[in-house]
Amino acid sequence: MSQEAIVSQRAGPATAVEAAAGLRDIWWRRILFVPTIGLLILLAIVPLIFSLGVSLFNYSLGSRAIWVGLRNYINLFTDPQFWLATRITVQFTVVAVSIEVVLGILFGFVMNQRFTGMSVIRLIVFLPMMLAPFVVGLFWRFMFDQTFGIVDYLLTQLGLPAIPWLIHPFWARVAVVIVDVWQWTPFVTLLVLAGLGTVPTDLLEAATLDRASNWMKFRQIYWPYLRFPLLLALLFRSIDTLKMFDLPFILTGGGPGNYTSTLSILGYRQQIMFFNVGMAAAISWVVVIIINIVTNILVRLITPAKAEQVHTGL
Amino acid sequence: MKILKRILGIGLALFVAALFLFPLLWVVLASFKTKLELLAVPPVFIFKPTLQNYINAFRSDFPMQVRNSLIIAASSTVISIILGSLTAYGFSRYSIKSSDFLQFWILSLRMLPAIAVVVPFYLVFRALKLLDTHIALILVYCLTNISFAVWVMKGFFDEIPLELEEAAMLDGYSPPQVFLRVALPLARAGLATTTIFCLIQSLNEFLLAVSLTTRVAETAPVGLSKVQTLMGVDWGLLSAASVIFMIPIIIFTIIVRNELVRGMSFGRMK
Repeated sequence: MSQEAIVSQRAGPATAVEAAAGLRDIWWRRILFVPTIGLLILLAIVPLIFSLGVSLFNYSLGSRAIWVGLRNYINLFTDPQFWLATRITVQFTVVAVSIEVVLGILFGFVMNQRFTGMSVIRLIVFLPMMLAPFVVGLFWRFMFDQTFGIVDYLLTQLGLPAIPWLIHPFWARVAVVIVDVWQWTPFVTLLVLAGLGTVPTDLLEAATLDRASNWMKFRQIYWPYLRFPLLLALLFRSIDTLKMFDLPFILTGGGPGNYTSTLSILGYRQQIMFFNVGMAAAISWVVVIIINIVTNILVRLITPAKAEQVHTGL
Repeated sequence: MKILKRILGIGLALFVAALFLFPLLWVVLASFKTKLELLAVPPVFIFKPTLQNYINAFRSDFPMQVRNSLIIAASSTVISIILGSLTAYGFSRYSIKSSDFLQFWILSLRMLPAIAVVVPFYLVFRALKLLDTHIALILVYCLTNISFAVWVMKGFFDEIPLELEEAAMLDGYSPPQVFLRVALPLARAGLATTTIFCLIQSLNEFLLAVSLTTRVAETAPVGLSKVQTLMGVDWGLLSAASVIFMIPIIIFTIIVRNELVRGMSFGRMK
Protein backbone atom coordinates (compact mmCIF):
# COMPACT_ATOMS: atom_id res chain seq x y z
CA MET A 1 0.00 0.00 0.00
CA SER A 2 1.52 3.29 -1.03
CA GLN A 3 1.51 6.53 0.84
CA GLU A 4 -1.05 8.02 -1.55
CA ALA A 5 -3.40 5.13 -0.95
CA ILE A 6 -3.42 5.82 2.74
CA VAL A 7 -3.83 9.54 2.28
CA SER A 8 -6.71 9.19 -0.19
CA GLN A 9 -8.37 6.77 2.13
CA ARG A 10 -8.11 9.16 5.04
CA ALA A 11 -8.87 12.48 3.31
CA GLY A 12 -12.53 13.37 3.74
CA PRO A 13 -14.52 10.21 4.29
CA ALA A 14 -17.61 10.67 2.13
CA THR A 15 -19.65 7.84 3.55
CA ALA A 16 -20.00 6.08 6.89
CA VAL A 17 -18.32 3.03 5.38
CA GLU A 18 -15.25 5.03 4.45
CA ALA A 19 -15.16 6.64 7.87
CA ALA A 20 -15.20 3.20 9.43
CA ALA A 21 -12.36 2.16 7.11
CA GLY A 22 -10.32 5.20 8.24
CA LEU A 23 -10.86 4.31 11.86
CA ARG A 24 -9.91 0.72 11.19
CA ASP A 25 -6.73 1.97 9.56
CA ILE A 26 -5.74 3.89 12.66
CA TRP A 27 -6.35 0.82 14.79
CA TRP A 28 -4.34 -1.29 12.37
CA ARG A 29 -1.39 1.07 12.73
CA ARG A 30 -1.64 0.89 16.50
CA ILE A 31 -1.54 -2.90 16.35
CA LEU A 32 1.56 -2.71 14.15
CA PHE A 33 3.59 -0.54 16.50
CA VAL A 34 2.23 -0.20 20.02
CA PRO A 35 2.62 -3.75 21.44
CA THR A 36 6.19 -4.15 20.17
CA ILE A 37 7.45 -0.78 21.22
CA GLY A 38 5.67 -1.01 24.56
CA LEU A 39 7.22 -4.38 25.30
CA LEU A 40 10.68 -3.24 24.22
CA ILE A 41 10.53 -0.14 26.41
CA LEU A 42 9.51 -2.31 29.35
CA LEU A 43 12.27 -4.83 28.66
CA ALA A 44 15.11 -2.47 27.74
CA ILE A 45 14.66 1.10 28.97
CA VAL A 46 13.43 0.25 32.43
CA PRO A 47 16.30 -2.15 33.29
CA LEU A 48 18.88 0.22 31.80
CA ILE A 49 17.71 3.20 33.83
CA PHE A 50 17.57 0.93 36.86
CA SER A 51 21.15 -0.25 36.34
CA LEU A 52 22.35 3.31 35.77
CA GLY A 53 20.82 4.14 39.14
CA VAL A 54 22.32 1.10 40.87
CA SER A 55 25.76 1.97 39.51
CA LEU A 56 25.68 5.12 41.68
CA PHE A 57 25.20 3.14 44.87
CA ASN A 58 27.37 0.87 46.93
CA TYR A 59 24.88 -1.95 46.82
CA SER A 60 25.35 -5.62 47.62
CA LEU A 61 22.48 -8.07 47.45
CA GLY A 62 21.00 -8.46 50.92
CA SER A 63 22.36 -5.23 52.37
CA ARG A 64 21.24 -1.60 52.27
CA ALA A 65 22.23 0.54 49.32
CA ILE A 66 24.46 3.51 50.10
CA TRP A 67 24.71 6.47 47.74
CA VAL A 68 28.30 6.84 46.52
CA GLY A 69 27.88 8.99 43.42
CA LEU A 70 30.58 8.29 40.87
CA ARG A 71 32.76 6.36 43.34
CA ASN A 72 32.13 3.00 41.56
CA TYR A 73 33.32 4.52 38.29
CA ILE A 74 36.37 6.15 39.89
CA ASN A 75 37.33 2.87 41.55
CA LEU A 76 36.84 1.11 38.24
CA PHE A 77 39.03 3.52 36.24
CA THR A 78 41.84 3.29 38.76
CA ASP A 79 41.73 -0.53 38.84
CA PRO A 80 44.45 -2.19 36.71
CA GLN A 81 42.18 -5.27 36.41
CA PHE A 82 39.66 -3.15 34.54
CA TRP A 83 42.25 -1.83 32.09
CA LEU A 84 43.57 -5.36 31.51
CA ALA A 85 40.03 -6.61 30.83
CA THR A 86 39.39 -3.70 28.44
CA ARG A 87 42.66 -4.36 26.59
CA ILE A 88 41.88 -8.07 26.31
CA THR A 89 38.32 -7.47 25.12
CA VAL A 90 39.55 -5.09 22.41
CA GLN A 91 42.38 -7.49 21.47
CA PHE A 92 39.97 -10.40 21.04
CA THR A 93 37.65 -8.26 18.95
CA VAL A 94 40.27 -6.83 16.61
CA VAL A 95 42.21 -10.07 16.09
CA ALA A 96 39.31 -12.53 15.90
CA VAL A 97 37.05 -10.39 13.73
CA SER A 98 39.84 -9.54 11.23
CA ILE A 99 40.68 -13.23 10.80
CA GLU A 100 36.99 -14.11 10.49
CA VAL A 101 36.39 -11.53 7.78
CA VAL A 102 39.42 -12.55 5.69
CA LEU A 103 38.73 -16.28 6.00
CA GLY A 104 35.00 -15.67 5.55
CA ILE A 105 35.59 -14.01 2.17
CA LEU A 106 37.97 -16.80 1.04
CA PHE A 107 35.65 -19.58 2.18
CA GLY A 108 32.69 -17.75 0.64
CA PHE A 109 34.30 -17.93 -2.80
CA VAL A 110 35.30 -21.57 -2.22
CA MET A 111 31.69 -22.44 -1.24
CA ASN A 112 30.26 -20.48 -4.17
CA GLN A 113 31.36 -23.13 -6.72
CA ARG A 114 28.74 -25.47 -8.08
CA PHE A 115 29.17 -29.23 -7.96
CA THR A 116 27.25 -32.20 -6.59
CA GLY A 117 27.68 -32.47 -2.87
CA MET A 118 28.20 -28.74 -2.39
CA SER A 119 24.94 -28.44 -0.44
CA VAL A 120 26.25 -31.01 2.04
CA ILE A 121 29.55 -29.15 2.36
CA ARG A 122 27.71 -25.87 2.92
CA LEU A 123 25.59 -27.52 5.57
CA ILE A 124 28.71 -28.74 7.40
CA VAL A 125 30.29 -25.29 7.22
CA PHE A 126 27.15 -23.60 8.62
CA LEU A 127 26.93 -25.97 11.61
CA PRO A 128 29.45 -24.38 14.03
CA MET A 129 27.61 -21.06 14.25
CA MET A 130 24.38 -22.87 15.12
CA LEU A 131 25.87 -24.45 18.24
CA ALA A 132 25.83 -22.98 21.74
CA PRO A 133 29.12 -21.10 22.39
CA PHE A 134 29.07 -22.78 25.77
CA VAL A 135 28.99 -26.28 24.25
CA VAL A 136 31.61 -25.31 21.69
CA GLY A 137 33.89 -24.02 24.45
CA LEU A 138 33.35 -27.24 26.35
CA PHE A 139 34.49 -29.60 23.64
CA TRP A 140 37.38 -27.40 22.55
CA ARG A 141 38.58 -27.47 26.14
CA PHE A 142 38.55 -31.23 25.86
CA MET A 143 40.57 -31.03 22.65
CA PHE A 144 43.05 -28.46 24.01
CA ASP A 145 43.82 -30.54 27.12
CA GLN A 146 47.54 -30.78 27.82
CA THR A 147 47.70 -34.51 28.50
CA PHE A 148 44.96 -36.25 26.51
CA GLY A 149 43.98 -33.45 24.07
CA ILE A 150 43.87 -34.20 20.35
CA VAL A 151 45.31 -30.82 19.32
CA ASP A 152 48.68 -31.31 20.98
CA TYR A 153 48.72 -34.94 19.82
CA LEU A 154 48.31 -33.85 16.20
CA LEU A 155 50.95 -31.12 16.62
CA THR A 156 53.52 -33.59 17.97
CA GLN A 157 52.66 -36.07 15.18
CA LEU A 158 53.54 -33.31 12.73
CA GLY A 159 56.87 -32.88 14.51
CA LEU A 160 55.86 -29.59 16.14
CA PRO A 161 56.24 -28.85 19.85
CA ALA A 162 53.20 -29.36 22.11
CA ILE A 163 51.67 -26.05 23.18
CA PRO A 164 50.49 -25.28 26.75
CA TRP A 165 47.04 -24.13 25.58
CA LEU A 166 44.74 -22.72 28.28
CA ILE A 167 47.44 -22.42 30.96
CA HIS A 168 49.87 -20.00 29.33
CA PRO A 169 48.83 -16.29 29.25
CA PHE A 170 49.61 -15.93 25.54
CA TRP A 171 48.45 -19.33 24.26
CA ALA A 172 45.22 -19.16 26.27
CA ARG A 173 44.33 -16.01 24.35
CA VAL A 174 45.30 -17.68 21.08
CA ALA A 175 43.04 -20.60 22.02
CA VAL A 176 40.06 -18.29 22.62
CA VAL A 177 40.67 -16.62 19.24
CA ILE A 178 40.98 -19.99 17.46
CA VAL A 179 37.67 -21.23 18.86
CA ASP A 180 35.89 -17.94 18.11
CA VAL A 181 37.24 -18.06 14.54
CA TRP A 182 36.17 -21.71 14.17
CA GLN A 183 32.66 -20.93 15.34
CA TRP A 184 32.01 -17.59 13.62
CA THR A 185 33.89 -17.60 10.30
CA PRO A 186 30.87 -19.58 8.98
CA PHE A 187 28.65 -16.58 9.77
CA VAL A 188 30.81 -14.29 7.61
CA THR A 189 30.90 -17.00 4.92
CA LEU A 190 27.10 -17.15 4.98
CA LEU A 191 26.78 -13.40 4.49
CA VAL A 192 29.42 -13.44 1.72
CA LEU A 193 27.53 -16.25 -0.04
CA ALA A 194 24.31 -14.24 0.22
CA GLY A 195 26.13 -11.24 -1.30
CA LEU A 196 27.64 -13.34 -4.11
CA GLY A 197 24.15 -14.65 -4.85
CA THR A 198 23.02 -11.12 -5.74
CA VAL A 199 25.74 -10.52 -8.38
CA PRO A 200 23.97 -10.46 -11.77
CA THR A 201 25.16 -13.35 -13.96
CA ASP A 202 25.42 -11.22 -17.12
CA LEU A 203 28.02 -9.05 -15.39
CA LEU A 204 30.12 -12.14 -14.65
CA GLU A 205 29.77 -13.45 -18.20
CA ALA A 206 30.89 -10.10 -19.60
CA ALA A 207 33.94 -10.14 -17.35
CA THR A 208 34.84 -13.68 -18.42
CA LEU A 209 34.59 -12.66 -22.08
CA ASP A 210 36.79 -9.62 -21.40
CA ARG A 211 39.36 -11.94 -19.75
CA ALA A 212 39.46 -9.65 -16.73
CA SER A 213 42.09 -10.53 -14.12
CA ASN A 214 40.91 -12.09 -10.86
CA TRP A 215 41.72 -8.95 -8.89
CA MET A 216 39.86 -6.76 -11.39
CA LYS A 217 36.88 -9.09 -11.20
CA PHE A 218 36.88 -8.95 -7.42
CA ARG A 219 37.26 -5.18 -7.25
CA GLN A 220 34.91 -4.22 -10.07
CA ILE A 221 32.23 -6.89 -10.01
CA TYR A 222 32.05 -8.66 -6.66
CA TRP A 223 33.05 -5.85 -4.29
CA PRO A 224 30.00 -3.60 -4.79
CA TYR A 225 27.79 -6.55 -3.86
CA LEU A 226 29.98 -7.67 -0.96
CA ARG A 227 30.41 -4.29 0.74
CA PHE A 228 27.02 -4.29 2.44
CA PRO A 229 27.03 -7.92 3.68
CA LEU A 230 30.62 -7.54 4.90
CA LEU A 231 29.80 -4.41 6.87
CA LEU A 232 26.89 -6.29 8.43
CA ALA A 233 29.22 -9.15 9.32
CA LEU A 234 31.66 -6.66 10.81
CA LEU A 235 28.89 -5.03 12.85
CA PHE A 236 27.48 -8.25 14.30
CA ARG A 237 30.83 -9.90 14.90
CA SER A 238 32.46 -6.86 16.56
CA ILE A 239 29.53 -6.33 18.89
CA ASP A 240 29.28 -9.99 19.82
CA THR A 241 33.02 -10.23 20.53
CA LEU A 242 32.97 -7.02 22.56
CA LYS A 243 30.43 -8.62 24.87
CA MET A 244 32.04 -12.08 24.75
CA PHE A 245 31.38 -14.11 27.87
CA ASP A 246 30.56 -17.82 27.42
CA LEU A 247 33.63 -18.87 25.48
CA PRO A 248 36.47 -17.72 27.76
CA PHE A 249 34.27 -18.47 30.78
CA ILE A 250 34.10 -22.16 29.92
CA LEU A 251 37.43 -22.50 28.10
CA THR A 252 39.73 -20.93 30.68
CA GLY A 253 37.49 -19.46 33.36
CA GLY A 254 39.08 -16.11 32.55
CA GLY A 255 42.56 -17.32 33.49
CA PRO A 256 45.43 -17.85 33.62
CA GLY A 257 45.92 -14.80 35.84
CA ASN A 258 42.92 -12.96 34.28
CA TYR A 259 44.60 -13.00 30.88
CA THR A 260 41.39 -14.10 29.16
CA SER A 261 38.98 -12.12 31.37
CA THR A 262 36.77 -9.97 29.17
CA LEU A 263 34.75 -7.04 30.53
CA SER A 264 31.66 -9.24 30.69
CA ILE A 265 33.50 -11.80 32.79
CA LEU A 266 34.78 -9.04 35.08
CA GLY A 267 31.20 -7.78 35.59
CA TYR A 268 29.84 -11.27 36.17
CA ARG A 269 32.47 -11.93 38.85
CA GLN A 270 31.70 -8.69 40.70
CA GLN A 271 28.08 -9.69 40.78
CA ILE A 272 28.08 -13.43 41.40
CA MET A 273 31.25 -13.86 43.44
CA PHE A 274 31.38 -10.58 45.34
CA PHE A 275 27.63 -9.70 45.17
CA ASN A 276 28.80 -6.19 44.36
CA VAL A 277 25.82 -5.18 42.23
CA GLY A 278 26.71 -1.48 42.05
CA MET A 279 30.17 -2.18 40.66
CA ALA A 280 28.80 -4.80 38.22
CA ALA A 281 26.35 -2.22 36.91
CA ALA A 282 29.16 0.32 36.47
CA ILE A 283 31.20 -2.20 34.44
CA SER A 284 28.19 -3.06 32.32
CA TRP A 285 27.66 0.62 31.54
CA VAL A 286 31.21 0.88 30.25
CA VAL A 287 30.45 -2.07 27.92
CA VAL A 288 27.21 -0.42 26.78
CA ILE A 289 29.02 2.81 25.93
CA ILE A 290 31.85 1.10 24.01
CA ILE A 291 29.33 -0.96 22.04
CA ASN A 292 27.22 2.10 21.32
CA ILE A 293 30.19 3.96 19.86
CA VAL A 294 31.16 1.02 17.64
CA THR A 295 27.55 0.48 16.52
CA ASN A 296 27.16 4.14 15.64
CA ILE A 297 30.30 4.19 13.52
CA LEU A 298 29.45 0.97 11.68
CA VAL A 299 25.79 1.80 11.09
CA ARG A 300 26.88 5.14 9.62
CA LEU A 301 29.13 3.22 7.21
CA ILE A 302 26.38 0.72 6.41
CA THR A 303 23.58 3.12 5.55
CA PRO A 304 25.30 4.64 2.48
CA ALA A 305 26.50 1.15 1.46
CA LYS A 306 22.94 -0.07 1.44
CA ALA A 307 21.72 2.97 -0.49
CA GLU A 308 24.53 2.50 -2.99
CA GLN A 309 23.59 -1.11 -3.54
CA VAL A 310 19.99 -0.19 -4.18
CA HIS A 311 21.27 2.45 -6.56
CA THR A 312 23.24 -0.09 -8.60
CA GLY A 313 19.94 -1.46 -9.78
CA LEU A 314 18.92 -3.94 -7.13
CA MET B 1 43.98 -26.43 -17.16
CA LYS B 2 40.30 -25.86 -16.55
CA ILE B 3 39.91 -29.36 -15.11
CA LEU B 4 42.91 -28.80 -12.87
CA LYS B 5 41.35 -25.61 -11.54
CA ARG B 6 38.11 -27.45 -10.93
CA ILE B 7 39.81 -30.25 -9.00
CA LEU B 8 41.71 -27.69 -6.96
CA GLY B 9 38.43 -25.91 -6.15
CA ILE B 10 36.70 -29.11 -5.06
CA GLY B 11 39.75 -30.09 -3.01
CA LEU B 12 39.71 -26.70 -1.26
CA ALA B 13 36.00 -27.01 -0.49
CA LEU B 14 36.52 -30.46 1.01
CA PHE B 15 39.46 -29.17 3.06
CA VAL B 16 37.39 -26.29 4.46
CA ALA B 17 34.53 -28.66 5.31
CA ALA B 18 36.98 -30.99 7.09
CA LEU B 19 38.27 -28.10 9.24
CA PHE B 20 34.77 -27.44 10.51
CA LEU B 21 33.68 -31.06 10.72
CA PHE B 22 36.63 -32.56 12.59
CA PRO B 23 35.93 -31.08 16.07
CA LEU B 24 32.29 -32.13 15.77
CA LEU B 25 33.23 -35.68 14.81
CA TRP B 26 35.67 -35.78 17.69
CA VAL B 27 32.89 -35.00 20.22
CA VAL B 28 30.62 -37.61 18.67
CA LEU B 29 33.45 -40.17 18.94
CA ALA B 30 34.15 -39.09 22.53
CA SER B 31 30.51 -39.62 23.47
CA PHE B 32 30.86 -43.35 22.70
CA LYS B 33 34.08 -43.84 24.70
CA THR B 34 34.61 -45.20 28.19
CA LYS B 35 36.31 -43.07 30.84
CA LEU B 36 39.63 -44.81 30.25
CA GLU B 37 39.49 -44.36 26.49
CA LEU B 38 38.57 -40.69 26.90
CA LEU B 39 41.72 -39.95 28.86
CA ALA B 40 44.00 -42.28 26.90
CA VAL B 41 47.38 -40.96 25.77
CA PRO B 42 47.77 -40.98 22.79
CA PRO B 43 44.08 -40.45 21.90
CA VAL B 44 42.36 -43.58 20.55
CA PHE B 45 40.59 -43.52 17.21
CA ILE B 46 39.40 -47.12 17.09
CA PHE B 47 37.55 -48.62 20.06
CA LYS B 48 34.47 -50.60 21.00
CA PRO B 49 31.64 -48.03 21.32
CA THR B 50 29.61 -47.89 24.52
CA LEU B 51 26.19 -46.32 25.09
CA GLN B 52 26.84 -45.83 28.80
CA ASN B 53 27.34 -42.06 28.47
CA TYR B 54 23.98 -41.65 26.74
CA ILE B 55 22.27 -43.81 29.38
CA ASN B 56 23.83 -41.63 32.09
CA ALA B 57 22.74 -38.45 30.32
CA PHE B 58 19.14 -39.67 30.03
CA ARG B 59 19.08 -40.65 33.71
CA SER B 60 20.26 -37.19 34.82
CA ASP B 61 18.30 -33.92 34.83
CA PHE B 62 19.48 -33.29 31.30
CA PRO B 63 16.27 -34.33 29.41
CA MET B 64 14.29 -31.93 31.60
CA GLN B 65 16.79 -29.16 30.90
CA VAL B 66 16.55 -29.76 27.16
CA ARG B 67 12.77 -29.62 27.48
CA ASN B 68 13.06 -26.28 29.30
CA SER B 69 15.36 -24.96 26.60
CA LEU B 70 12.97 -25.99 23.85
CA ILE B 71 9.88 -24.53 25.59
CA ILE B 72 11.61 -21.22 26.27
CA ALA B 73 13.17 -20.92 22.81
CA ALA B 74 9.97 -21.85 20.96
CA SER B 75 7.73 -19.49 22.96
CA SER B 76 10.10 -16.57 22.69
CA THR B 77 10.55 -17.16 18.96
CA VAL B 78 6.78 -17.28 18.28
CA ILE B 79 6.14 -14.05 20.20
CA SER B 80 9.08 -12.32 18.52
CA ILE B 81 8.10 -13.41 15.01
CA ILE B 82 4.52 -12.15 15.45
CA LEU B 83 5.42 -8.79 17.00
CA GLY B 84 8.54 -8.36 14.85
CA SER B 85 6.77 -8.96 11.53
CA LEU B 86 3.94 -6.59 12.44
CA THR B 87 6.31 -3.78 13.32
CA ALA B 88 8.67 -4.45 10.40
CA TYR B 89 5.67 -4.23 8.08
CA GLY B 90 4.65 -1.00 9.76
CA PHE B 91 8.09 0.55 9.24
CA SER B 92 8.15 -0.63 5.66
CA ARG B 93 4.70 0.67 4.62
CA TYR B 94 3.77 3.62 6.79
CA SER B 95 5.76 6.72 7.56
CA ILE B 96 5.44 7.43 11.24
CA LYS B 97 6.97 10.12 13.40
CA SER B 98 10.72 9.61 14.13
CA SER B 99 10.70 6.36 12.20
CA ASP B 100 14.48 6.41 11.61
CA PHE B 101 15.22 6.96 15.26
CA LEU B 102 12.88 4.15 16.33
CA GLN B 103 14.41 1.76 13.80
CA PHE B 104 17.92 2.50 14.97
CA TRP B 105 16.85 2.16 18.58
CA ILE B 106 15.32 -1.25 17.93
CA LEU B 107 18.43 -2.43 16.09
CA SER B 108 20.62 -1.20 18.94
CA LEU B 109 18.72 -3.48 21.34
CA ARG B 110 20.18 -6.45 19.48
CA MET B 111 23.58 -5.05 20.46
CA LEU B 112 22.73 -4.62 24.15
CA PRO B 113 25.14 -6.74 26.22
CA ALA B 114 23.42 -9.29 28.45
CA ILE B 115 25.71 -8.22 31.30
CA ALA B 116 24.03 -4.78 31.28
CA VAL B 117 20.51 -6.06 31.89
CA VAL B 118 21.19 -9.08 34.03
CA VAL B 119 21.31 -7.24 37.38
CA PRO B 120 18.05 -5.31 36.98
CA PHE B 121 16.27 -8.33 35.53
CA TYR B 122 17.39 -10.39 38.49
CA LEU B 123 16.07 -7.85 40.99
CA VAL B 124 12.80 -7.25 39.12
CA PHE B 125 12.04 -10.93 38.61
CA ARG B 126 12.92 -11.65 42.24
CA ALA B 127 10.41 -9.00 43.32
CA LEU B 128 7.76 -10.48 40.99
CA LYS B 129 8.56 -14.01 42.21
CA LEU B 130 9.39 -14.98 38.61
CA LEU B 131 12.95 -16.16 39.18
CA ASP B 132 13.54 -19.69 37.93
CA THR B 133 10.43 -19.69 35.70
CA HIS B 134 10.06 -20.14 31.96
CA ILE B 135 8.25 -16.80 31.66
CA ALA B 136 11.25 -14.81 32.87
CA LEU B 137 13.61 -16.17 30.21
CA ILE B 138 10.94 -16.08 27.48
CA LEU B 139 10.44 -12.35 28.10
CA VAL B 140 14.14 -11.60 28.36
CA TYR B 141 14.92 -13.40 25.09
CA CYS B 142 12.15 -11.42 23.34
CA LEU B 143 14.36 -8.37 23.72
CA THR B 144 17.08 -9.51 21.29
CA ASN B 145 14.76 -11.68 19.21
CA ILE B 146 12.17 -8.98 18.43
CA SER B 147 14.92 -6.56 17.53
CA PHE B 148 16.46 -9.08 15.13
CA ALA B 149 13.05 -10.01 13.68
CA VAL B 150 12.07 -6.39 12.96
CA TRP B 151 15.34 -5.77 11.27
CA VAL B 152 15.44 -8.86 9.00
CA MET B 153 11.74 -8.77 8.14
CA LYS B 154 11.84 -5.10 7.18
CA GLY B 155 14.42 -5.92 4.51
CA PHE B 156 12.06 -8.51 3.06
CA PHE B 157 8.93 -6.33 3.15
CA ASP B 158 10.88 -3.53 1.44
CA GLU B 159 11.56 -5.83 -1.52
CA ILE B 160 7.89 -6.70 -2.13
CA PRO B 161 6.47 -4.68 -5.08
CA LEU B 162 3.77 -2.29 -3.86
CA GLU B 163 1.68 -2.99 -6.96
CA LEU B 164 0.87 -6.47 -5.64
CA GLU B 165 -0.55 -5.04 -2.43
CA GLU B 166 -2.44 -2.28 -4.21
CA ALA B 167 -4.06 -4.86 -6.48
CA ALA B 168 -5.16 -6.82 -3.41
CA MET B 169 -6.62 -3.63 -1.91
CA LEU B 170 -8.63 -3.05 -5.08
CA ASP B 171 -9.94 -6.59 -4.73
CA GLY B 172 -11.42 -5.51 -1.42
CA TYR B 173 -8.77 -6.80 1.01
CA SER B 174 -8.47 -4.81 4.23
CA PRO B 175 -4.96 -3.76 5.32
CA PRO B 176 -4.66 -6.63 7.84
CA GLN B 177 -5.74 -9.07 5.13
CA VAL B 178 -3.15 -7.66 2.73
CA PHE B 179 -0.51 -8.20 5.40
CA LEU B 180 -1.56 -11.75 6.21
CA ARG B 181 -2.40 -13.04 2.72
CA VAL B 182 -0.04 -11.09 0.46
CA ALA B 183 2.97 -9.70 2.31
CA LEU B 184 3.72 -12.49 4.78
CA PRO B 185 3.62 -15.35 2.24
CA LEU B 186 5.98 -13.37 -0.02
CA ALA B 187 8.41 -12.93 2.86
CA ARG B 188 8.66 -16.68 3.58
CA ALA B 189 12.46 -16.82 3.30
CA GLY B 190 12.68 -13.98 5.80
CA LEU B 191 10.41 -15.83 8.23
CA ALA B 192 12.58 -18.95 7.94
CA THR B 193 15.80 -17.02 8.56
CA THR B 194 14.32 -15.10 11.47
CA THR B 195 12.95 -18.27 13.03
CA ILE B 196 16.23 -20.14 12.94
CA PHE B 197 18.28 -17.26 14.29
CA CYS B 198 15.81 -16.53 17.09
CA LEU B 199 15.70 -20.23 18.00
CA ILE B 200 19.45 -20.72 18.13
CA GLN B 201 19.95 -17.42 19.95
CA SER B 202 17.54 -18.49 22.70
CA LEU B 203 18.65 -22.13 22.84
CA ASN B 204 22.31 -21.15 23.13
CA GLU B 205 22.21 -18.18 25.51
CA PHE B 206 24.10 -18.74 28.74
CA LEU B 207 24.74 -15.63 30.86
CA LEU B 208 21.09 -14.65 31.44
CA ALA B 209 20.00 -18.26 31.80
CA VAL B 210 22.59 -19.01 34.45
CA SER B 211 21.69 -15.85 36.38
CA LEU B 212 17.89 -16.10 36.24
CA THR B 213 17.31 -19.84 36.74
CA THR B 214 18.40 -22.11 39.55
CA ARG B 215 16.77 -25.53 39.14
CA VAL B 216 13.22 -25.83 37.83
CA ALA B 217 13.59 -23.75 34.66
CA GLU B 218 17.28 -24.47 34.11
CA THR B 219 18.23 -24.62 30.42
CA ALA B 220 20.56 -27.16 28.84
CA PRO B 221 23.74 -25.00 28.74
CA VAL B 222 23.25 -24.12 32.41
CA GLY B 223 22.80 -27.78 33.26
CA LEU B 224 26.00 -28.64 31.40
CA SER B 225 27.90 -25.97 33.31
CA LYS B 226 26.86 -27.59 36.59
CA VAL B 227 27.78 -31.13 35.55
CA GLN B 228 31.25 -29.83 35.16
CA THR B 229 31.56 -28.19 38.57
CA LEU B 230 29.80 -30.74 40.77
CA MET B 231 31.31 -34.04 39.66
CA GLY B 232 34.73 -33.03 38.39
CA VAL B 233 34.80 -33.28 34.62
CA ASP B 234 32.87 -36.27 33.28
CA TRP B 235 33.85 -35.80 29.65
CA GLY B 236 31.84 -38.81 28.47
CA LEU B 237 28.59 -37.51 29.93
CA LEU B 238 29.32 -33.98 28.69
CA SER B 239 30.03 -35.19 25.14
CA ALA B 240 26.87 -37.32 25.07
CA ALA B 241 24.80 -34.42 26.42
CA SER B 242 26.37 -32.01 23.90
CA VAL B 243 25.54 -34.40 21.05
CA ILE B 244 21.93 -34.76 22.25
CA PHE B 245 21.60 -30.97 22.48
CA MET B 246 23.09 -30.50 19.00
CA ILE B 247 20.63 -32.88 17.32
CA PRO B 248 17.54 -30.61 17.22
CA ILE B 249 19.69 -27.73 15.98
CA ILE B 250 21.29 -29.85 13.24
CA ILE B 251 17.88 -31.14 12.08
CA PHE B 252 16.55 -27.61 11.94
CA THR B 253 19.60 -26.43 10.00
CA ILE B 254 19.08 -29.21 7.45
CA ILE B 255 15.44 -28.16 6.99
CA VAL B 256 16.12 -24.47 6.41
CA ARG B 257 19.57 -24.70 4.75
CA ASN B 258 18.31 -23.48 1.38
CA GLU B 259 16.45 -20.53 2.83
CA LEU B 260 19.46 -19.56 4.92
CA VAL B 261 21.64 -17.99 2.23
CA ARG B 262 18.64 -16.43 0.52
CA GLY B 263 17.44 -15.11 3.85
CA MET B 264 20.74 -13.37 4.54
CA SER B 265 20.47 -11.49 1.24
CA PHE B 266 17.34 -9.79 2.63
CA GLY B 267 15.12 -10.73 -0.28
CA ARG B 268 17.52 -9.44 -2.94
CA MET B 269 18.55 -12.89 -4.15
CA LYS B 270 15.83 -14.38 -6.29
